[in-house]
Amino acid sequence: MKDKLSREELLHVAELARIELTEEEIEKYQIHIKKLLDDVEKIKDVEGYDEEQLIAPWSENTHLREDKIGEMYDPKEVINRAPKHSGNYIEVPVVVGESEGA
Amino acid sequence: MSNYIPTIGVEVHLELKTKTKIFSPSENGYGKMANSLTNEIDLGYPGTLPTLNEEVINIGIKAATILNCKIRKVMHFDRKNYFYPDNPKNYQITQDRTPIGYDGYVEIEVNGEKKKIEIKEMHIEEDTCKSAHRGNKTLLDFNRAGVPLLEIVTKPCISSSEEAKLYLEKLRELLTYGDISDCKIEEGSMRAEPNVSLRKKEEDPFGTKVEIKNIGSISNVVAGIEKEIERQTKLYDQGQEIVPQTRRYDDKIQNTVLMRVKETGNDYRYFPEPDIPFVVLTDEMIEEAVKEIPMLPDERRRIYQELGVSKLNANKLVQNRPLSDYFNELLGEKINHQTASNLLLGDISAYLNRNEKDIKETTLTKERFIELVNLIDNNTLTSKNLKEIIIPLLEEEKTIQEIMKDNNIENITDDTEIRKIIRKVIEENKDSVEDYKNGHERAIKFLMGQIMKETKGKANPKMTMDILQEELK
Amino acid sequence: MRYLNLPLVEINKLLKEKKIKPIDLVNEAYENIEKHKEYNAYITLNKEDAIRQAKELENKEVDNLFFGIPIAVKDNIVTKGLRTTAASHILDNFIPPYDATVVEKIKERNMIIIGKTNMDEFAMGSSSRTSYFGPPKNPWNKNKISGGTSGGSATTIALRDVPIALGSDTGGSIRQPSAYTGIVGLKPTYGRVSRYGLIAYASSFDQIGAMTRNVYENALLLNTIVGHDDKDLTSSKKENEDFTRLIGESVKGKKIAIPKFFVSEIVSKDILDNIKQVVKILEENGVIVDYIDMKYVENTVTLYQIIAMAEASSNLARYDGIRYGYSYEKPNNIDDLYVKTRANGFGEEVKKRIMVGSYLLSGENAKTYYNKALSIRDDIRKEFKRVLNDYDWIMGPTTATTAYDLDDPMDDPSKSFLDDVLVMPANMTGLPGINVPIGFGKDNMPIGLHIMGDSFEEAKLYQIASFIEKELKLDLNPWKGEENE
Repeated sequence: MKDKLSREELLHVAELARIELTEEEIEKYQIHIKKLLDDVEKIKDVEGYDEEQLIAPWSENTHLREDKIGEMYDPKEVINRAPKHSGNYIEVPVVVGESEGA
Repeated sequence: MSNYIPTIGVEVHLELKTKTKIFSPSENGYGKMANSLTNEIDLGYPGTLPTLNEEVINIGIKAATILNCKIRKVMHFDRKNYFYPDNPKNYQITQDRTPIGYDGYVEIEVNGEKKKIEIKEMHIEEDTCKSAHRGNKTLLDFNRAGVPLLEIVTKPCISSSEEAKLYLEKLRELLTYGDISDCKIEEGSMRAEPNVSLRKKEEDPFGTKVEIKNIGSISNVVAGIEKEIERQTKLYDQGQEIVPQTRRYDDKIQNTVLMRVKETGNDYRYFPEPDIPFVVLTDEMIEEAVKEIPMLPDERRRIYQELGVSKLNANKLVQNRPLSDYFNELLGEKINHQTASNLLLGDISAYLNRNEKDIKETTLTKERFIELVNLIDNNTLTSKNLKEIIIPLLEEEKTIQEIMKDNNIENITDDTEIRKIIRKVIEENKDSVEDYKNGHERAIKFLMGQIMKETKGKANPKMTMDILQEELK
Repeated sequence: MRYLNLPLVEINKLLKEKKIKPIDLVNEAYENIEKHKEYNAYITLNKEDAIRQAKELENKEVDNLFFGIPIAVKDNIVTKGLRTTAASHILDNFIPPYDATVVEKIKERNMIIIGKTNMDEFAMGSSSRTSYFGPPKNPWNKNKISGGTSGGSATTIALRDVPIALGSDTGGSIRQPSAYTGIVGLKPTYGRVSRYGLIAYASSFDQIGAMTRNVYENALLLNTIVGHDDKDLTSSKKENEDFTRLIGESVKGKKIAIPKFFVSEIVSKDILDNIKQVVKILEENGVIVDYIDMKYVENTVTLYQIIAMAEASSNLARYDGIRYGYSYEKPNNIDDLYVKTRANGFGEEVKKRIMVGSYLLSGENAKTYYNKALSIRDDIRKEFKRVLNDYDWIMGPTTATTAYDLDDPMDDPSKSFLDDVLVMPANMTGLPGINVPIGFGKDNMPIGLHIMGDSFEEAKLYQIASFIEKELKLDLNPWKGEENE
């Protein structure tokens, strides 16, 4: 078993997590994360698992909310809490293209 | 014309007609001041949790029923993880593994032939916030964050831009009728994203899929698909490969442009949303929801035609939801439904359009309308008369009889009196009678004119003509 | 006179008789905290507001037992208008515009929030040493950890600064520091207390609970914070009840199971001796104690890590420097804003867990790890339910050793395994668990007993815990009364 996560693997998860790493951190995490992952590998030895089984996070069913409008924030309050704003909008550096989702 | 077979699938996002957002009690509204429709849940503040709007589930059941989908009775939500400024939690709550509806279809008519556009699945999820790009910054308005969406995904079973158009039109008609969504493409409450691939022969595997986003109208969906087929055909002809990518339709240049090349497998890290336990739909819930579905367009058209309404009129009625709903209240009445449809689509429609009114805002109650249809049908009122009294009919509370009196309409419907006058005119115009009998059809019109002159226009034309023809035999 | 050292019932009596005012309690609490500053139990104090509130209460009727009582709240529980950081730089300027549901509840009873207690950053850790604000210190020995992640709440209760505190427990975070500091801490059944406003670490484990000086007051405090909440879909519809109602009832004929693994060689001799002592007392009083084999108990840490880190990677994605909190000042572009805000804003342990969690959900891994872990978790739940069909309680030590040194290495995996393994099953199964102090080790550090019960049987946990507490009659004030004047 390797004792280090490859640099590429580590940088891939850092990219997924949107965390910038210094060279020093890369060195450190390659070892630390590998240790954690080795531990996690033990799950592969545990038997009795149905892949198609759907797991409810908890046992009681969801209760539904009535479609009734509740309290909302003053826009001023919302934008003032944001690190950057412009007019009534929250501001970020320009984003090219459209959302991945929806 | 392309030498390749196009395969098209369409993804449609619809904003649902609810009062509040899907996972929070903030208002689901359009066109309000930026960032005025939010609370801590919509903004993804720490420690907040989603709740689930019952109306979204209700509408989901209705939509699934309307699109002939099977309904998943036990479902959960999943998190789709990706970073984007319009995505407040940097994950979107959606349904990945258990969409509320699946295996449905929408029937369209292509060149007179029926075709089923198959629906793979439909699921509910939350909308992102709205972003506007200004120079080197992007401005975010979270009013739309958390608005309930329904995503409807077809199988890759559409073979032309025309079919895609018919599918979208049909979908819009059905879902507007079902009170699912406003389906306004211009306002973004309906968003259609086609994907296109080409292949040489039916037996070949599907070609490389290219998605087209940002399309502002159904006609641009058609244009976008056609441009994409053109582009891919050219590339294939030149022996080039198609790169999987997302393009957008640019209305200015009327063509698609590259947005981004698909990264190898978007890693959305889906997993079941731990904050929302299973949603279990009971038979009662489903029954209740289905009961709320109004009569749908195809059924309306069929019933109207069975009642003697022309195909043209039936179609026109269905295109006008308020009139069609009004008409539906008359389905069980013993009236001439064709006459009724003519009335609604003719002078009444003209009046409503002119005055930008809904028929429910007029004084034309169901009872008055039935009376009116019968008066026209038994020739008591002429179409000329109707034009004269249309305003009081729709604006005043008086009875039709009173309105007729006010306008001096006293049609001669007594056939012995009309017969008397007809005989007199025949007596006085022997030459014309002779002409008519010799085959000069036009002579009868002259005779009619003379009769109308005698009666000062009060004789019912149809009845008069019938008696005149009888007398001339 | 130190009023805050008195039992709650007596403080309440004095308030009712107008012999003292809420402001006296508040002043005393802040004097205590000032005196114990070096223990670093608090991240943010609520002094101005607490004093204002105490004065307002002077004109109000003392209508419940908690009226005017100072309370400490863990800093991952959101408080309106009071900075809430989760011990992270990324939230160190965050002043929430809303209250957690539990905070609404304690405010309804006119408890006075004294301050926000120190903890591991985003509740990730087990010694409160991952706090951006430095670790709290153990009241029994300043060189030792207070445990975690609710280390600050445990510290301030053990120090007798305030009589009651709220903590949260994802993998033992209430019970383990309670054991290390000699106080009583209970993690309720998952769903018993609303999670609305609890800054999420691992959604399917997190639960808020009470941390107090003794069992009775723990039950009293739990009475005030439970209940179904429409804002939390995972909160249970279970009826509220009086959790003190079984305290004092006989335990004769009841049955306790001790999984053999819980008293195996992983646990220090000191602690095993103390456990044996308790077992003896129980047996003398007619309780049946059996040592049993249980499946899965060794696997729980692995499963916990998978589920917790996967959920955490998603739960912590929202901290991006856009809508609130710390934000990198001069980003070149949007991606720069993300990666630098999160690189600077999160501490080492949090970054590690987010990255591992992202890995575990990435591509096919979600199936191999997360879904599989959820499925096995279901089996573990069934295994514990099976045992609890035959036994009233499942018992073991809360920790494998007593509190260790503050400067012990942080990233020793075997240590973090031992930190969690004995208390984790309660989170894996959603069952309630309580720590009750049972003595001291040779190092003079407190030792805790861990008892688990069936779902929603907190009252029964208090019954047995209170019985043991009364039998042992331990003096759990680190000052042994010497500081009392």
